Formats: sequence, C-alpha cells, structure tokens
Amino acid sequence: MTVSRLASGWRIQRRVISALMIRELVTRFGRENIGFLWMMAEPLLFASLVGIMWRYMHGPEEHGVSITAFIATGYIPLTLFRQSVTRATKIFSVNGSLLYHRQVKILDFIFVRFFIEVIGAMMAFVFIAMILGVLNEFPVPANIGALIGGWFLYCMFVFSLCLVLAPLSELSDVLEKLMPVTVYISIPFCGTFTMVSWLAPQFQQFMLYSPFISPMELIRYGVFGDRVHAIWDVTVPISVTMVLMVIGLTLCRRIRRRLVVE
Amino acid sequence: MISCEQLSKSYPMGHGQKRVFTNLNLQVAPGQRVGLLGRNGAGKTTLIKLIGGVEMPTSGRVRREMSVSWPLGFGGGFQGSLTGYDNARFIARIYGNEYDQIREFVEEFSELGSQLKMPVKTYSSGMRARLAFALSLTIEFACYLIDEVIMVGDADFHRKCHYELFEKRGDRALILASHSPDLIRAFCDSALVLHQGQGMMYSDVNEALEVYSAL
Repeated sequence: MTVSRLASGWRIQRRVISALMIRELVTRFGRENIGFLWMMAEPLLFASLVGIMWRYMHGPEEHGVSITAFIATGYIPLTLFRQSVTRATKIFSVNGSLLYHRQVKILDFIFVRFFIEVIGAMMAFVFIAMILGVLNEFPVPANIGALIGGWFLYCMFVFSLCLVLAPLSELSDVLEKLMPVTVYISIPFCGTFTMVSWLAPQFQQFMLYSPFISPMELIRYGVFGDRVHAIWDVTVPISVTMVLMVIGLTLCRRIRRRLVVE
Repeated sequence: MISCEQLSKSYPMGHGQKRVFTNLNLQVAPGQRVGLLGRNGAGKTTLIKLIGGVEMPTSGRVRREMSVSWPLGFGGGFQGSLTGYDNARFIARIYGNEYDQIREFVEEFSELGSQLKMPVKTYSSGMRARLAFALSLTIEFACYLIDEVIMVGDADFHRKCHYELFEKRGDRALILASHSPDLIRAFCDSALVLHQGQGMMYSDVNEALEVYSAL
C-alpha cells in the first residue's frame, strides 16, 4: 500500500514539476522570438564578454591554458550560483497562489527554478565550448568523467544552498538585502578566476574548505586535463551539501506550517 | 467525509498572536451543503483555506476522506500574468486532464470569448468568478469550496452555477462562505456561524441566518 502510494505521489510530482517548468518558461521568456532559449543567454553573454575582456587584459594564455576558455569554464558555474540563489529568495510568497492546488509542494518551486538555471548553464557551457572549439580556443575535454562529476557536485551544493536560503528569506527581509553583497564577496572563493595550485601554499589548504573549489577544480581538470595542476578534496562539498540539505528540508517543513497564502 | 478536529489558527501580530479561532470542530458529510456565516474577519476565508490545505492549522487537523476542490475565490489558484487559456492548460497538466476537453468547457461555461487570450489580471471580478468556476467544474470533485466569489456574478451566472452544482452534481458536498442570505438559502442545507473564534453548526439555515443577523 505504501509502495503504491509512493508511486502515485511520484507520478503526481512529475506532472506538477513539468507543469511548473512550462509555466515558469512561459512567464519568464514568453513565446516570442527564441523563447526559452533565452535561459542560456545570460550565462553565455557573461562568459563570453568577460572572457574577451580578460583576453585583452591578460593576453591569450595564462599558466599554459587559453585564458578565454579558462574564464568561460569558471564564469558559467558562477552565474548558475548567483542566479539560483537570487531566484530562491522569497520564492514561496511569489508563488503563493499556486499553493491553492494541494498537489503543488513548496519544494517543487525551489527545484523547478533551480533546474531551469541548470539547463540554461549546461546549454551555455556546451554552446560556448563548441564556438571556442571551432576557433581553436577550447580543447576537447580531457576527462569527461571529471567534468560531469565536477558539475554534479557544484550543482548539488548550489541546490542545497537554495533549500536553506528559500525558507530563510521568508523569515527575514534582511537576508534578501544582504544577498547580493554576500554573493559578490564570495566570488574569490568560487574558483572562477584561479586554480588552487596557482596560490601561495599557505592559502591552498584554506581554499579547499570552500565547497565551490573542489567541484571547480574537477571541472577544470575535466576540460584541460594534465595541462593544469588540479587539487581537490570531494569530502568538503559532499559533507557541506548533505548538512545543508538536512537543514534546508527541515526549515522548509517548518515554514510551510506558518506560510500565509494570499 | 471531511472532519476538522480541534482546529486552531493564529497569525503573528506585532509581538503577539491573533487567534482566528480555537478548537473548532466541523464535519461535512458527502452531499452536505454547508453555508459559512460570519462578520468580516470572523475567519470564513481562513477556515476555507485550512480545509482546502492552502494554509496549515496552528494545531488540530483536517481529514479529507473525499476529494476537495481548491478554494474558489478572487485571487488564489490563478496566475494573473498568464492568460485564461494558459491557466486552463496549467490546471489540465497538474490534475492530469485533457486540455482540449477543459478548453471546450471553459469557453462554453465562462462565455469570456476572446478575453481568454488576455492575462487574468485584466479581468473584472465577475469574469474571474466565471473562469474560476469553469476551471474547477472541469475537474470532478466530491466537495467544492467556494469563498464569496459566487456573489459577484450576474443572474445568468447564478443560474448556470445552480444548474451545474445542483442538477448535474446534486450529490456533491459544498462549503460556501457568503454574506448573502439569499445565496445561503438557495445553495445550502445547513450553516456554520463563526463568531469570536467559535463555530456553531445549525441544521436549519433560517435559524443560522437569524443568529447571524443578530450578531
């Protein structure tokens, strides 16, 4: 009986999530011109423009790899992090009217918005790699497993962060106001512009405590292979992600009981 | 059967709590048509939201042993930025129904014509009521929750609702919050009067209306 209830619950959630995805895409991007392809526009523009900027400021190569490709691989995960976290704030009150339908759960909101950002980022990543590849600025990925594993760990960490921030932003308005500056301050700890091995030895150990760093190193290793010296320790992102998920799910459950729906 | 057991709901108010009602008990049997009476702020909408599962009670519980509609009101359940058709598509998707079937019924029942291609936020309250009813009648529920919204409709709309809810779906339960004695008399066979956080159930609608008008 519980198994069949689980199965029907899963079916309903799949239906709800796909309906919410379509709704989110239609409200955000509309049906005109390129439609939902806009979701990769932002990461794509950021990565290519910042890449070009660095290309002219620092020359074509740094530490033996193409600087444009290096910035592109770092900037797309960064926009994923920034966008997902921003979109997670106040997500329950913004979507409140959907809670009139009992099968719609608050976790669906977080998942759907995050998932759209992930798809956008992935599409942008593949797109930019192909364009730069044609221009001979982007190598054929050296280790697909490391690339996918790095992306996976990065995404899971960002998702667990959203799970915590979404309910917290409903509890306190201060959080929403502090968010942009906090994200900005955290950029040096995201591994966007550097590799751990480029840093002074006394900072290296310290940097590995940031959950962004190991996934980022894995992504870089997956793309550039042995041309970069990657250092990672996956226990940090995995354990931080698991702790945040437990906290986030508990908070979401608590918040749902108190949520005032207009 | 819907049972509300020892239901309490309070909202944070400044540093304290505003208690809407305490230890409310209510049972709605299949086919029963309950009118909700109470002055502004007595908790009619809150009770409907708790029964519909939109908000959670502070304590106590709601047991739903039949399928219950979402609360039909002016705002909830719609997305203002989407068109009437897009809202219908969304409802079809989350309830797993055929969109074509829903669209046909919505067009016929709501009589909104090309307005269905406009965002719902541009609708008048009467038009919203028509769309809300049309959408919820396309999904078959055993109990319909209706919050005021029926009042804003015109005579033709009342006649249609009466036909759909009584002649075609005479066996369904109904919980209707309204200030209009005529509507309560026409639609309900029992009534709950909410006053100062307490609920009193009357099996005689006229008696309930007398108590209500004396409040």
